[in-house]
Amino acid sequence: MFKDSLVILQKELKRIFTDRRMLVMLVIVPMVMLPVMYSIMAKVSKTRSADIAEYTSQIYIHTGTQSSSEIIDKFTEGLQELNAKITRVPKSQIENIKQLVKEKEVQLLIVFPDNISENLQQYDPFDIRVYYNSISDYSEHAYSSVKEKFNEISKNVVQDRIVKENLPDNILTPFTINRTVKPSEVNLAEKGSMIGKVMGILLPFFILIYLFANSMKVGLDTVAGEKERGTLAILLVNQVDRLAIVIGKMFSVIIAAFVGAASSVVGLIIASRFFISMFGASSTDVGSYAMHSQTILQFAIVVLPLALLLVSLVMLVSTYAKNPKEGQGMIMPVYIVVMIMGISTMQIGDVPPQWMRIAPVFNSLIALKGVFMQNETWANVLQALLVNLVVSGILIYIILKMFRDEKILFKI
Amino acid sequence: MIKVEDLYKVYESKKKNVKEKIEAVNNISFQCKPGEIFGLLGPNGAGKTTTLRCISTLIKPTWGNIYLDEYNVLEDEKIIRSKIGFLTTDMKLDGFFTPDYMLSYFGRLNKMQKSEIEQRKEKLFNDLQMEDFIDKKIDKLSSGMTQKTAIAISLIHDPEVIIFDEPTNGLDVITAKNVTDFLEKYAEQGKTVIISTHIMSIAEKLCDRIGILIEGELKKMGSLEEIISGSNADNLEDVFYKFLIPDYGSQEGVEDV
Ligand SMILES: Nc1ncnc2c1ncn2[C@@H]1O[C@H](COP(=O)(O)OP(=O)(O)O)[C@@H](O)[C@H]1O
Ligand SMILES: [Mg+2]
Repeated sequence: MFKDSLVILQKELKRIFTDRRMLVMLVIVPMVMLPVMYSIMAKVSKTRSADIAEYTSQIYIHTGTQSSSEIIDKFTEGLQELNAKITRVPKSQIENIKQLVKEKEVQLLIVFPDNISENLQQYDPFDIRVYYNSISDYSEHAYSSVKEKFNEISKNVVQDRIVKENLPDNILTPFTINRTVKPSEVNLAEKGSMIGKVMGILLPFFILIYLFANSMKVGLDTVAGEKERGTLAILLVNQVDRLAIVIGKMFSVIIAAFVGAASSVVGLIIASRFFISMFGASSTDVGSYAMHSQTILQFAIVVLPLALLLVSLVMLVSTYAKNPKEGQGMIMPVYIVVMIMGISTMQIGDVPPQWMRIAPVFNSLIALKGVFMQNETWANVLQALLVNLVVSGILIYIILKMFRDEKILFKI
Repeated sequence: MIKVEDLYKVYESKKKNVKEKIEAVNNISFQCKPGEIFGLLGPNGAGKTTTLRCISTLIKPTWGNIYLDEYNVLEDEKIIRSKIGFLTTDMKLDGFFTPDYMLSYFGRLNKMQKSEIEQRKEKLFNDLQMEDFIDKKIDKLSSGMTQKTAIAISLIHDPEVIIFDEPTNGLDVITAKNVTDFLEKYAEQGKTVIISTHIMSIAEKLCDRIGILIEGELKKMGSLEEIISGSNADNLEDVFYKFLIPDYGSQEGVEDV
């Protein structure tokens, strides 16, 4: 009987892996998806921030009644250091300029109150109005640069006052944090576990997605497609055991699913160049993140039954559906639910709720996260294995029942 | 020898949540000897495909028995499967493979030895004149070539019985002729051939014995001559339409006057 499975498996694999279009979908897409996505994201955000930094902002200021004083000069000098065109406007123009800020024609309007020199002398705080537009990146950027500059000026003013009052410098600095040590002395994360964390968050999700996507691409056709084309009948009038057909076809789908998952892992490793900076890890971290043999073993023990489970789901639908199209419609909601499961496990903290350890799919995702962070216990790994094997077993039993049910195989 | 005894098949289907029973085949009995071509002639929905699927072990009779020699479809599925070839025209082979590959594949699934497969392939390729395209992808073949491939696949294990549902459906005239010629040759070799068709000329020319199947019931059965003479008719067409159209004969009479 297993010989028949092998013959069928061989044929299905030949079908999958010698077809160029199929190969592109199953292998190339999962591999290049992440690098392409991340390189575009990195490029866009880079050019975007460069563009914003290079942009010459239009800043209008109204300096109140005083046209020139020591402090006003300080502010305007500060502004001149920014990449901006500064224009002074009289009070009558303020409303007009506000409108222009609203319309994103002008980035900022700064309005100083009257008599700030006197306020300054009497230690009487005054409020400067900076009108900006948070919808415009340019305005937002100008706003934060101006705030930074003005804070600097504020510090200088305080400094001057301290000197004038004969107070010690340190009066302004009651304490500092981590100023006197190297970052590595206080950040006690193990080397490499940062990248492990990134992997732990991203990889389970993408592995899940491609296991499922590839199972769908291959699995829906393998039974429902043969039903639609009428070729399943020739297989069924042969002396092949139904179980042998199911096993042969199922394994071909599992292999296709695996190839997708493996490609996405390779893709993620390539893509890691682009995103390590986004997560605050350095490339040396990536280099030092070594997969120990235990990690690899646990990985296999978690991913295999997860693949089996997802493939069983797809095969169940493929066997039940009249044709791949109907199957597609049935599996889509399942796919979406599984995606949501993937996304929700990305966001849970270090200690997942207990029920997730028992729920199929969830348990694998959580275990995978732990495996990549290299802190998963064998008990959890084995629990995920057991739960998913049991659920897959039930699904396969139902598939077999359906394979013996003429109502399902010859549905019209 | 194929023996169908009191074959009865109902389908249960749900339409708008109301359970519906369809009596697709209603107590039919017939036999087909080796060397003979038996044809089930009937309009769409008569129950032809259902009958042939029951004989081929693809579906189970609700009641009744079907025997191939001493073997019963319900008890000896495996043996029967090894002795029959089943084929239907409304089937689309996966265009990705070559005829040569598909034949080897099904040969292996039929537990044939490698040398046995090679010999059988050579014979089939020769009989069906397939040599020119055995290594081309099925995608690239004409409908006639594809049909020959399908026939070859279902005959790879040299079955005693060949069951062919609508053998000429959708085929051009030349391919159809090739197919019927081949079936005749096959029967001459002592094989049992059972076909279904809704085309009267096929039944007339190809079949040694015909069963007229209408709404699941066998209305007439016998050789062409037996059917015509037993029904007071001029030809098969007359017999057929008499069953299908209640006042077929009288209408014609009126027009004649
Ligand atoms: N799988 C099925 N489920 C329900 N009804 C069916 C099924 N297959 C066939 N039928 C019904 O049984 C009747 C006979 O069908 P079929 O054997 O395909 O006729 P034929 O091949 O002569 O056209 C038809 O009314 C058809 O609708
Ligand atoms: Mg039919």
